[in-house]
This record gives sequence, structure tokens and C-alpha cells, in this order.
Amino acid sequence: MIPKIVLQLKGLNKSFGGLLAVKNVDMLVNESSISGLIGINGAGKTTLMNCISGIYRADSGSLDIMGVSCLNWSPHDIARLGVGRTFQIPRIFKRINLIDNVMVPALNDNTDNKTLYERATECLDKVKLYDLRHNNAEELSGGQQKLLELARIMMFNPRIILLDEPFAGVNPTLCRLMIERIKELKEQGKSFLLVSHDLTSIYQLSDHIYVLNQGQVISEGNVDYVRNDPEVIEAYLGNA
Amino acid sequence: MAKSGTIKPDDFSEEISAQRLKSSLWYTIITVLILSCFLVPLQDGNLSFMFSLMMWVTLATGINFIAGFTGYMPFGYVAFYGIGTYVTAILVKVLGVSEYLAVPAAGLSGILLALLFAPTLRLNGIFFAIVSLSLAVVCQRLMSLLPEEITGGSHGLNLGVATDRTHGYYAMLIIMFVALVSASWLGQSRLGKALKAIRDDPDAADAMGIHVSRVRLYAWIMSAFFAALAGGAQAWFTGALDPITAFDVLITAKTVIYAMAGGLGTIIGPVVGTVTLVWIDEIVWQQFPVLNNFLLGLIITLLILFMPRGVVGSLMQHFPHLRKYIM
Repeated sequence: MIPKIVLQLKGLNKSFGGLLAVKNVDMLVNESSISGLIGINGAGKTTLMNCISGIYRADSGSLDIMGVSCLNWSPHDIARLGVGRTFQIPRIFKRINLIDNVMVPALNDNTDNKTLYERATECLDKVKLYDLRHNNAEELSGGQQKLLELARIMMFNPRIILLDEPFAGVNPTLCRLMIERIKELKEQGKSFLLVSHDLTSIYQLSDHIYVLNQGQVISEGNVDYVRNDPEVIEAYLGNA
Repeated sequence: MAKSGTIKPDDFSEEISAQRLKSSLWYTIITVLILSCFLVPLQDGNLSFMFSLMMWVTLATGINFIAGFTGYMPFGYVAFYGIGTYVTAILVKVLGVSEYLAVPAAGLSGILLALLFAPTLRLNGIFFAIVSLSLAVVCQRLMSLLPEEITGGSHGLNLGVATDRTHGYYAMLIIMFVALVSASWLGQSRLGKALKAIRDDPDAADAMGIHVSRVRLYAWIMSAFFAALAGGAQAWFTGALDPITAFDVLITAKTVIYAMAGGLGTIIGPVVGTVTLVWIDEIVWQQFPVLNNFLLGLIITLLILFMPRGVVGSLMQHFPHLRKYIM
């Protein structure tokens, strides 16, 4: 059976001044799968994420999400198509409490407040932040803020989830918890595009991996193919 | 979704009870404030002082909608107030419209001006603040340059005995009441939550499906509406206006200081800040007339230096258990 494509990029380009940050990128994400995106610092991973989620306007190319052509749509319209994301540096709503933080993506839903509240507490419970639900988000540690973003995504319940460095600065215990939740979400049919420097986690989770270098896809394939690709090894380790 | 066993079944009921407690405290404060203001004309109290207190409470609450809830600081906020005074005065003096209709019309003019200025919301931070200040200056000049038979030119308009001060006073009381009730509604509504999310991180809110520019526009309109109404009631109460005083940037400055002193982003903060500072201002003025501005400036500097989130905001930051009592 041919897997259903939920996200497709064709020939995407994005430049800043004279710097071409993303060059002619083609990419596919299938339904209920995890696509990993790796690359050294400055490879263009976050820029690509920002182009997909509408935060940056791409110069050219095409972006199809669930069959809808949506290049350069605004972030809230992309979100309403069913795309949720987390950020490299957690972008939580600092001066509001955890419950309200988690509720934000569901504020447009026609759900009653009781259901909304219960869903929010369940999401916080899943990432073990329930006991801190009345605290303001600024009072959380960096790792807890990453978990809060994950809880917010769970509340959002999107079809496609873009995770930007979810494991950066997170201790191994919280990391395991996050991996567990990501696997659960995948089993529920969610599709992921996962950016990470933590190759162990990305190899463990991904069905397909894309490697970016200087804005271009230099390699793609399953874990075994990518980790043994000489071009990838050279990009990461150099010629030494 | 499987639970880890920490969620209590009656959690939502507890949350509702906490909300009710918060609301009860808040409405008690509103009632005391409204009753005290209501009784002043009946007991021959200091009408001008209490009118000014109500006006500042309304303006501080109004600016809180845009500055406290979305993080946009409109230094030209006085433009809405000024336009409200002028629309009321022109309708009453030139067109012979009753004040009862002129003041609501002033509120509508504030909304129209807010829609006209809405493109400035695309700007951020200091750029927005400066452009909004410039727009207030433009409005002031416009009122001076329009034909004298309409706006009175640089001399302004005098409504003379045509207006009843006591009625103007009660109009301000009603406006303050509506502003405070609107604030409490906003504080508990989904719109309020969306606005606070935008204040903390507009990009993240946008990526979560919040239509940032639309939601921000709602706050902008509410903010402008109450400033224009306050301006309308001021014209009714004083019966005289001119472009310099109607568009005086000191009005914005005082509004911002009062709201910040109490705590922008909280519902009760701007009320606490205004009532406290207006009273302190009055006492300092009576006791130390020569040192009035010096002492008031010193108090405000210390307040902002040691309590950057205002009295209420700092209390909530340092004593988290108080959050369940404060709106």
C-alpha cells in the first residue's frame, strides 16, 4: 500500500540578503511517520521549519499540506490546516499559567470550558507537569518548558507536528519521556518532521531521514543508508 | 488518554470555585468604588476630584486592554480621549445634539479612529509607540486648523452653561462601571487568554492558530472606545476644551504610570495604581505644594524600579498563593 503524503516540498528556496539559506529543497512526509531532518549548525533546518510553518516567506518553490497548496500562508492559517510546531528555544507564554498555556491552541474550538480544562490537565499530566498547572510558565526550567511545548502540541492535536530540537538541553529522563510521547502520537496517526542534533534519538525515532548541508539536501533515506553515506560522514566529520 | 493518577476528578469544580472567589472579590471592589463615587454628589463632596479619579480609572483600564493584554504601548493614547472630547463638544455646541447622545457618539468616533490607525499595529515596540505619539500630534494640529466655527480653532470650544456637571459626573460613573465590567469579562474570556498569549509571544500564538492581527485589533478598539467615552464625559463635565489640553501627551503619560504602578496585564492593577497614586498626588499637593512634582516623581521612580510589574503584578510574582485571589 502506498503511504499517503501529508506534507510535500518541491524546489523550496529561501534567502536572506545574499545568503541562500535553503536551496531547492524537495521533501516528503508520509502519514503516521517520523521524518528526521539533520545537519550541522547553520545548515538551514530551522529556516526550513519556519518556511513550512509560515513564519518565513519562501522565495520560490511549492508547499502542499494534505493536498492543499499553501506556500507563504500566514502561520495561523497553516496551523488551522493541521500543522503544529515547537521551537528550538522554547516559546512558551511566560506570564500565564500552565493550564492557560496549554489551552491556547484550542481557544478557537467550539468546546465547552469544562472539556477544554479537562483536556488541558490531561495533556499536562502526560508530560508530568500537572502538579505545576497553576504556576506561570516562566517559573519552569528549560527542560520543563520543552515538555510544556509538547503538552501544547498534544492539546492542539494537529495532523502534522514539526519538532525543532525537542531534546536540546533536556536531561535523559525527560528525554525518554518525550520519546515515549512522540511514539504514542505517531501510533495515533500523527506525522512528524523532527529536527535534532541528538543523532541517537533521531536514529531511534525516524522512519526516513533528510540531511541538510548549506541549505541543500545532500542525502536522504532510511537510518542505515544515511549513517553510512560518505557525503553525510564528510559533512559531519570533515575530511580528517 | 491514559492518566498517571494525579488528576483529581473534581479538579474543574475547584477551578470554578477559585474563579468565583476571584470574581466575588473583584466585584466587591467595583461595588465599593461605584457606591463611593455615586454618593459624592449627594453629600456635596469634592466632585472635581472624584470625577478626575473616575476618569483616570477608566483611562488606565482602557490602556490596559492594549498595553497590558497585548504588550503594545500607545504613547498617543490621548488621541482617542481628545477626539472624544471634540466630538462631544461639536455635537452639543454646533449641532445642538443632547449630551446623552453625544457621549456615545464620541465612543463610536474612538472606534472609527482606532480602525483608521489600525495599520500602525503592524509595527512593533518603540516604532509603534512613536508612530502612535505622532498621530496624536496630528490630531491636535488638525483640530487647531479646522474652521473655527466647528472646532473653535486654537481657542477651542466653550459649552458654557449648556452642560450639567452632575449629569456629566454620573455619565463618567457609568462609563467607568462599563469599563470595569468589560475588563473583568475580558480577564476571564478566551479572547483575554488569546491576548495574553500574543503579549508573551506573538509568533508562537500565531503558530498555534491565533489570528494575531485580528485579536489585537479587538483590544485596540476596546481601548480606544473607553478613552473616547472618557473624553466625551470630560467635555460634558467641564464644558470647555482646547486642542492643547484635549491632546496633552501628559494624559497618556499619567495613564501609563497609573496602570503600570498597579500592574499592567492584571484587571485589578490599573484600578489599584490609579486610586493609590491619585490620592497620593492629592495629599502631596495639599501638604507640600512646592515639592508636589518632585515627591510624586520620586514615588513613581521607586515604584517602577523596585516593582517593575506594579504593586499587584509584583505581589502575584512573589506570593504565588495570592494568584487565586487576584484577577
